[in-house]
Amino acid sequence: MTRDPKFLIGALVVAALALLPFVPGAVDNYYFSLLFFVFIYAILAQGWNLVVGYAGQISLGQHAFFGLGAYTTAIVWSRNYLYGPLYESFPRIYYFDPVTMVLSGLVAAVAAVLIGLPLLSKLRGDYFALGTLGFGEIVRVLFVNGGEFTGSAFGVIAPSSTFETLLPHYWTGLFLMIGTALAIRWLIRSRYGLALVAVRDDEMAASANGVNILKTKILAFAGSAFIAGVCGSLYSYYIFHVGPDSVFNLEWMLLPLMMTVVGGTGTVWGPIIGAFVMYVVFDFAKLWVPDYHPIIAGLTIILAMLFMPNGILRFGFLARRA
Amino acid sequence: MASQHLLEVKGLAVSYGDVRALWDVSIHVDPGTVVSIVGANGAGKSTLMRAISGIVRPQAGEILLSGRSLVGLPPEEIARLGIAHVPEGRGLFRQMTVLENLELGAFQPAARPHMRERLEKAYALFPRLRERVNQKAGSLSGGEQQMLAIARATMSAPKLLILDEPSLGLSPLVVQQMFELIRALNRDGVTILLVEQNIHQALNVADHAFVLQTGLLVMQGAGRELLADPEIQKAYMGVLE
Amino acid sequence: MNIPPPDILLQLSINGALGGAMYGVAAVGLSLIFGTMRLIFLAQGAIIIFSAYCVRALFYKLGIDPFLSLPIVIAGGAVLGWLIYQGLFRKAAAMEDRNVSLLIAVGLMFLVQNLMTVIWGGNTAGVVTTYTASGIEIFGVRTSFTRSMGFLIALAGTAFVILFLKKTLVGKAVRAASEDMNAATLMGISPHRVNAIAFAIGISLAGAAGVAVATTFPFNPFAGFIFSLKALVALALGGLGNVGGALAGGIILGLIEAYTQYFISGGWTNAVAYGVFLLVLMLKPEGLFSKPFKKA
Repeated sequence: MTRDPKFLIGALVVAALALLPFVPGAVDNYYFSLLFFVFIYAILAQGWNLVVGYAGQISLGQHAFFGLGAYTTAIVWSRNYLYGPLYESFPRIYYFDPVTMVLSGLVAAVAAVLIGLPLLSKLRGDYFALGTLGFGEIVRVLFVNGGEFTGSAFGVIAPSSTFETLLPHYWTGLFLMIGTALAIRWLIRSRYGLALVAVRDDEMAASANGVNILKTKILAFAGSAFIAGVCGSLYSYYIFHVGPDSVFNLEWMLLPLMMTVVGGTGTVWGPIIGAFVMYVVFDFAKLWVPDYHPIIAGLTIILAMLFMPNGILRFGFLARRA
Repeated sequence: MASQHLLEVKGLAVSYGDVRALWDVSIHVDPGTVVSIVGANGAGKSTLMRAISGIVRPQAGEILLSGRSLVGLPPEEIARLGIAHVPEGRGLFRQMTVLENLELGAFQPAARPHMRERLEKAYALFPRLRERVNQKAGSLSGGEQQMLAIARATMSAPKLLILDEPSLGLSPLVVQQMFELIRALNRDGVTILLVEQNIHQALNVADHAFVLQTGLLVMQGAGRELLADPEIQKAYMGVLE
Repeated sequence: MNIPPPDILLQLSINGALGGAMYGVAAVGLSLIFGTMRLIFLAQGAIIIFSAYCVRALFYKLGIDPFLSLPIVIAGGAVLGWLIYQGLFRKAAAMEDRNVSLLIAVGLMFLVQNLMTVIWGGNTAGVVTTYTASGIEIFGVRTSFTRSMGFLIALAGTAFVILFLKKTLVGKAVRAASEDMNAATLMGISPHRVNAIAFAIGISLAGAAGVAVATTFPFNPFAGFIFSLKALVALALGGLGNVGGALAGGIILGLIEAYTQYFISGGWTNAVAYGVFLLVLMLKPEGLFSKPFKKA
């Protein structure tokens, strides 16, 4: 792998991104915060890719896991559930706290298992997609009606006095983006990964070979939920005010979906490339047709599906077994 | 010189993914005859039929109907050119009534004006269908379903009638009746291409027959001759040495 | 919990059923498209709202009464449906990858939604005519005139579709294709034709539903998604591919919503609807009115 030219290019890009903040004036540049969002979408796209590209189940409820993660972080932080007396001495302890972030991911993963068990054991394809869609909406309503605990329609505010620069967000985002990609790359080469692809390509054959279909699917579903949850946690550190309309917004599902599809479903780097490409497209759209740029999203999915259904990475001369 | 075969298949090769199902198979069907394709399970008989009716696309080879190439045409077009394929499993619309199935058999624009008369003809040939006209096709017995499938295929007055494993799942008595029906249809002028595991019946009724074995054509000849052939008897009919 | 007096129950039931018919007619369109293409056309709700906006524009700009614009939106919907299929879904249908079709539908939903926001703004809109506020009496219960008209539209639309499917040869071809597309092609039935017809009818029904929506309640560009979801719930209740069941499913959903709103609260109606949806999907995926699937 180390001799593969693509790997070298990738490593260079990652290094460049990591060193970018040291360039004078970079951190305050508009594009810096843009990159942060690219990272967030790339992470979400990677999660979606895991459940769709590798497990073969279309899930339309990722935004619910994202929101769950965001809410978990905000609630744990604002109510000081984790650190008790330590919080007084170290007020920044929750800020980018790995424990909190992992917890957010776990909450989402547990929800995925709870909802995944009944859905995945009984529903196929379209029905499963519908089920996840319904689930996403139910979660949103539950949070809106959650009373004191979830702050109802208003949401939860995390203590925000510690937000000064975007640096920690940037680096955490970059780390997570590369981290999830590498984790997935490792995963698909593992025994579990083989099982996953086997289930995606031919369930009956996989089951005949002793693969536990349900367990495989649920693990992928929970894994993608975990990723979405951690991402939600990261986002809550940025936005500080977590409300149902902002974090359960369908865009958190649709845009990563579109990015994965454009970049190449079922490839490791596809979601990242898709996220970058799409954001460039959006940015140009904002410049030229400022009012119409949300339409570009819908148009893009349609065009991508019509002409490049396998995504950029699998298009023509770039195609290779990814 | 123009070929007098109604259907001509030359050098056909078909693969499902990486698995080769047919190797360089050539058969022909002359108008007004009954032609049988026989062979064991998995020999490629159904694949051959599917390639002819357009459900499956061959990797190589030619399929000509009255000299016109069928390769690459979608199944609905091939059907309109005059091939009626009764697939393995019959392909009936089980939720729809006997009458509706028959009507759909004459769906093609060329057949629609003749629907009335062809319905009557079908009832004459298959009287039991008239009794069950408004019953759901799925509720019929195995033999009746097979009759319905064949009747439906005649509704389009096809140039070539393809029957894929018509005796599957039927009791011996019903199988006998069915083959008599096939003879009757042929006497009426219908050209029939038949795929069958029931070798005895298939060879008995055939003017000409082809033997397929694991995707290869191994033998051909007049039906009755093949039936008497010792090789065939040993390989397929359990006749001891 | 107190059982309310019978006339309140009747009021709830009638209003619920009338309102639910709108989900039902949307579901009928979904049913046709799913039957032939096995595609869950998520953009249906957005197109209904789009139609509602068009009805509104026709009324305020050209003075055409919403109910009189029915023929326009129905015809327009049929043409639009045909075009949507040929332009967007035909290639995907040939590819036989249902994920691709689903994603195109999602993209279309997003596109239409944002298109509406751009053209008409994101604020709530409505149509007010001389009769939108008037009421009529049914079975001694006071209910809105437009809601009743909406119900009639839904009923007429469903009846038309059922007649088409049962009595015309083309309709039978659509049913055959829904049951077994491969066998249908062997009869000379063209899958693309059948799919395009299903789309044309489905979108024209969406157009008609738009009239009902425009005259009954205020709407905004984002209501489309919720509408699609509710239509899906109706479809699941009635059984995917069961046309009459789709309308019945919509009515049942309307009843569920009306009762939930009364006995619990308005905020929970959506949750209950989706909850019912999930339950039906898992316990009786073939719908309340169909025979159970045989294990393939």
